[in-house]
Amino acid sequence: MKKKMFLFFLSAMMLLLLLAVGCSDDSTTSETDEDNQSTDSDTTEQEGETDEAATVTVFKSHIGKGTIPESDDPHVQYVKENTGVEYQLETTPPGSEPAEYINLMVASKDFPDILRPIGGVEQTLITQGGALALDDLLPKYAPNVWERIPEEAWNIVRSASPDGKIYYVPKVYLIPERAALLRQDWLDNVGLDMPETLEEYKEMLIAFRDQDPNGNGEQDELPTSGREFGRWMDHLFAMFGVAMWEGYPEWDIYDGEINYAGTSDNMKAAISFIRELYDEKLLDNETFLNKGDVWTAKINNNLVGSWYHLPANLRDRYAAMKEGDENAYVAGMPMPEVDGYDGFITQKSMGEPEWMIPVASEENAANALKLLDFFYDPANADFIQYGIEGVQHEVVDGEKRLLPSSDDKPIALGMLNLTTDESMEVRIKNSFPEDQQQMVRDIFEVSKADARRIAGDGMPSTVYQGYPDIQSHKLFQEYLTKIVIGEWPIDKFDEFVEEWHQAGGEEVTQRVQEWYDTAK
Amino acid sequence: MKQTLGEKCFQILNYAVLALLASTMIAPLLHLLAVSFSSPIAADSKKVFLIPVEFTFATWEHILQNEVLWRSFWITVFITVVGTLLSMLFTVLTAFPLSRKEFMLRKPIMLAIVITMIFNAPMIPFFLTVREVGLMDSIWALIIPGLISTFNMVIVRTFFMGIPDDLDDAARIDGCNEFRLLFQIYLQLSKPVLATIGLFYAVGYWNTFKTAVLFLRDPSLWPLQMRLRAFFTAEEELAAVDLIMGDFDFNTTTLKAATIIFATVPIVLVYPYLQKYFVKGAVLGSLKE
Amino acid sequence: MGGKTQQVFTQRSKALDRLNQNRLIRNIRKHWMLYLMIVPGIVYYIIFKYIPLLGSVIAFQDFQIFKGFLDSPWVGLDNFKFLFNYQDFHEVLRNTALIALYQLLFQFPAPIILALLFNEIRLLVFKRTLQSLFYLPHFLSWVVVGGIVFELLAQEGIINALREMVGLAPILFMQEEAYFRTIVVISGIWKEVGWGTIIYLAAITAINPSLYEAAVIDGANRLKQTMYITLPLMLPTITVLFLLNIGNFLELGFDQIYNLLTPMTYSVGDIIETYVYRAGVLQGQYSLTTAIGLFQSVIGFALLWIFNRLARKSEQGLW
Repeated sequence: MKKKMFLFFLSAMMLLLLLAVGCSDDSTTSETDEDNQSTDSDTTEQEGETDEAATVTVFKSHIGKGTIPESDDPHVQYVKENTGVEYQLETTPPGSEPAEYINLMVASKDFPDILRPIGGVEQTLITQGGALALDDLLPKYAPNVWERIPEEAWNIVRSASPDGKIYYVPKVYLIPERAALLRQDWLDNVGLDMPETLEEYKEMLIAFRDQDPNGNGEQDELPTSGREFGRWMDHLFAMFGVAMWEGYPEWDIYDGEINYAGTSDNMKAAISFIRELYDEKLLDNETFLNKGDVWTAKINNNLVGSWYHLPANLRDRYAAMKEGDENAYVAGMPMPEVDGYDGFITQKSMGEPEWMIPVASEENAANALKLLDFFYDPANADFIQYGIEGVQHEVVDGEKRLLPSSDDKPIALGMLNLTTDESMEVRIKNSFPEDQQQMVRDIFEVSKADARRIAGDGMPSTVYQGYPDIQSHKLFQEYLTKIVIGEWPIDKFDEFVEEWHQAGGEEVTQRVQEWYDTAK
Repeated sequence: MKQTLGEKCFQILNYAVLALLASTMIAPLLHLLAVSFSSPIAADSKKVFLIPVEFTFATWEHILQNEVLWRSFWITVFITVVGTLLSMLFTVLTAFPLSRKEFMLRKPIMLAIVITMIFNAPMIPFFLTVREVGLMDSIWALIIPGLISTFNMVIVRTFFMGIPDDLDDAARIDGCNEFRLLFQIYLQLSKPVLATIGLFYAVGYWNTFKTAVLFLRDPSLWPLQMRLRAFFTAEEELAAVDLIMGDFDFNTTTLKAATIIFATVPIVLVYPYLQKYFVKGAVLGSLKE
Repeated sequence: MGGKTQQVFTQRSKALDRLNQNRLIRNIRKHWMLYLMIVPGIVYYIIFKYIPLLGSVIAFQDFQIFKGFLDSPWVGLDNFKFLFNYQDFHEVLRNTALIALYQLLFQFPAPIILALLFNEIRLLVFKRTLQSLFYLPHFLSWVVVGGIVFELLAQEGIINALREMVGLAPILFMQEEAYFRTIVVISGIWKEVGWGTIIYLAAITAINPSLYEAAVIDGANRLKQTMYITLPLMLPTITVLFLLNIGNFLELGFDQIYNLLTPMTYSVGDIIETYVYRAGVLQGQYSLTTAIGLFQSVIGFALLWIFNRLARKSEQGLW
C-alpha cells in the first residue's frame, strides 16, 4: 500500500512537470531564470578575463535611501577609472531583518566579494571557517587601510578570533558620538548655572519642574526624559561611572576586573538615584513607555530640559524647538560630580567589524581590497565626501554643497568608516546651517572632555552565545524599570545580580575576562 | 413586518453601537491622511489629529512623482491580479476532489495537507527549496510558493460539502463529467465563498512582504509593501543616514503616513466592490448533507 | 500478544491491503478526473511544504549555517533539553497558553457576534458602509496599531482624560501587569474583528431565504430566527474555523505582542515568539528555534486531533 502511494505521488509529480513544460506561465519563469543564471555566469567570466575591469560585489546594509547604481553610473565609473575595479552594490531589502538576511546569504553560499557583517555574522564565518584571513593581504593591497587604522584597533580585531588572525577591517570612531544635552535657555530662565555636582543637577531639575522654564504658563515640563526599555537616558547612569550604550549596560573595569556594568555597585547607586527622580516627577513618568517618535515629539515641543542623544542629528529637532521657542539653545552638559564615583561618557571607538572577505571570494580578494583602499586613500577624501557634481553635490558660489539623498537617485557607495575630529568638522559644516555649527561644535567639545573608552570596546559577540537573555539585557531591563517606577524596592537589585549570574552571567563573565586577557 | 418594542430598541442600539465602533476604525487612517498633508515640524511634534496642521501638498507631490514607488505599485497590482486568479484556480481544483465522498484518498490527503498547516517549515530550508526551484529574483517567487492557502482551501471545501447531493444526481443524468460539474454547477453556486477567498488571496498578495524580502535581490522587482516597510526600520539608523535632508516641506514622518495611505487605499476599495456577491449568492438552499 | 494471533493479524491486514488496492484502482479508473484535478495541489504541497519540512531535522542538530544540513553535528534531543531547562520556560509557556486561551474565548467568537449584528441591519447602504469600515484596521500593521494603543493609554491619552473627568487618578496602563492581557485581547479584536466577519457573512448569504419565510409564517421573531436558523447553519463554518485555529493554538504571532510589550510586563507578556526572537533572530540559534517550533506544532496537532474527533461525531471534521 505504501509503495503504491509513493508511486502514485511520483507519477503525479511527473505529470505536473509535463504539464508545466507546456504551460506558458511556467515556461516564462524558467526562461527568465535561465537569463538570470546566464548573466551571473557572464559576470564571473568577465572577472576571469579582466579584459577591461574587475567586478567586485559589495554587500552593505543600512545604506539609506536610493536606488542601486547601474554599471554606467558616474560614481561607479569614476571609481573604476581610478582603481580598475567596478563595484556592484548589494544591500538588504527594506524592511528585512539584516542579520537574518546575511544568515540566508551564508546558508545559500551566495557570497559577495566583500561584505559588511552585522548581527555577529562575522563570528559565524570566523568560527566555521568561512572568513578569509587578511594579515598578509592588507599591507599588500590596501596600504592606506593598513596604515590609517591604528595598531591598537588591529590588536582588538586579532583578539576577537580564536587563532589571533585579522579577519575583518574594523570601524574606527575616535570621538564620542553621543552627548548629554541640556536646554541652555531653560537654565537661563530659571537663573541657574551649569550644574557641577549631582546635588546641583537635581536642583536644576527641580527648578525645571517648578519654574516654568518654557514659559507657557503650564507646569508641563519634563525635567529629564528617556525612552522605552530605559534607552537613551545614559546621562543619568554615566554620572555614576556606569558604562552604558544607548541604555544597554556595557563591560568595563569594576572591582579591578572587567565586569558587566549592569550588576555593578555603580549601577545600583544610579538606579537608586533615578528612582528618586521618577518619584519626584523629575524624570518623565512615561519614560519607559516612550516610543522613539513620542520621545522626539516631547523634545521638539519644548517639554524636555535634559536628555541624551547624537549631537550630529540635532538639526531637525532644533528647527522644531525654534518653531515653538525662538530662544531655544542646546548645550552639552559636563558630567556632574558624584561623590565616590568617577563619571564618564561611554565611548566605543574600535573593534566593531566593518568589512570582511569570505573565503569563497578569495580569488577576487585583491580587487576587493584595492576597492576598499581607494576609499581610505587620503588623496581621494574630496571625492569620498562630495561624490559627483550634479548627483551627490552641487557647486554654489564656488563651494561644494551636498545634495540630499532621495529614493529615486542612485546611492554612492561609501566604504570609509573612520571618524576623526576633522571628518566630524566637515560633517558639521555640511549638514548644519552656519548659525548652528558653533552650537554643535561646543556640544562635542563638552562630551569629548568627559568621554572615555571602555574596557569592553571591541569585544566579540560570541561571548553571549547560548545566553540570549543575557545578550538582550532582558533581565536587566525588567529590574531597572520595575525598580524605577517604584513597583519593586531598590533592594531587589541584589536579587537581580544573583539571578543574572545564575542565568548565564557567570559563564559570560568568564568568557569576557578571558577575551580581555588576550586583548590587553 | 411588525416589530416589537424590544426589537425596535435593539435596532436603534445596534445601529448606534456599530456606528460608534466603526468611527474608531476609520480614525487612524484619517489621522494618517491629515499627517500626510501637514508640515514636517507639526507632524513630528504630534500636533496633528484629524485635521492637517500647516497644510501642504509637498509630501504627496513627492510621493506621486516618485517613479520607484509607482513601479512597485504596478508590480503589486500584477502579482495581486495574476496571483489571485492562479490561486483561486488551484484552490478550487484541490478543494473539489477533497469534498467528494467518492474520492477514496480524501481523508489521508486531507490529513497530510492539514499537517502542513500546523508544522511549519523552518525558514532556511524553505528558502533553499524555493531557490533550488529557480525562483530567486523572479516575480513568480511572490506567487508560486504561496499558491494555495490551506485555510482558504478548507473554507472552499467546507462550502462545497454543504451543496446538496441531489444537484449532483441531476447533473449526472445530464451526462455531466466531473470537470463540468465543478466549473458549471459548483462554481456558479459558490459565488459568496469565491468572493471571500478571492478577497483573502488578493489582500494576501497585496500585502506580500516576507517572500519578497527573502527572494528578491533585484530592487526593480520590489513590491509596494517593501517600500512601505523601509520607513519602519529603526529610526536611529535612518537618522544617521538621512543626516543631509535639506530643507523640504516633508520628512520621514509625513512620507511614512502618505505611503501607508498610498499602499492601503487601493486594496481597501476591493471589498465594497465585492460586496454585491455576498447578496446575489443567496440563492442556494444550504441543507447540510 | 501471542505470535500466532500476530501472524493471523498481519495476514489479514495484508489481504485487506490488497482488497483496498483493488478498490483504489477501481476508484481511480472510475473517478480519474478527480484524481487529475488534485495532482497540481499535491505537487505544490510536496515541493513547497513537505520538502522544506524535512529541514526540521536541524532541531536535532547543532546547525551551523556555514556548514549546512549535511555537515552539522547531530546532538539528539539536546535542543529540547536546553529549551525545557531554560529558567523562564514555565513563565513563557504559561503566558503563551493563557493569552491563547483568552483569544480563543473572546477573540474567536467576536466576529460571529458581529456578523449576526450586521445581519440585523436592514438598510443595505448602511450595512455595507459599516462592513467596509470595520475591516480597515486589518490593513494597519501592528507597529502602527501598537503606537496607537500606547498613545490612547498614555498619561495624556483619551482614556486617562476620561478618568480625570470622573475624578480618577491617571493610570499608566501599559506598564501595569494587570492590564496587559486585556489590552492584547481588546486590541486584537479591534484590529481583526471586521476582517473575521467576512467569512461568516458569506456563510449567512448562502442560507436559503425560504427557511426564514417559513419561520415567519410560524411566528418566529428575529431572535428565534437567529437562534434556530442562522446560527445552526453557520455551524459548519464555525467548526472549521475553530479547528483551523486550534491547530495553531500556541502560535500567537510575534508582531502584536512585541509591539505591546514593555520590560514591566515581561512577567505576563513574554511569550514563545518573543523568546524565539531573542534566541533565533538575534543570536542565530536556528536549531533551538526549530525545536521550539516543533514543540508548538506537536501540541497544536494533539489539540487538533482531539477536537477533530469530537467534530467528526457531527460529520464536520477536517478529515
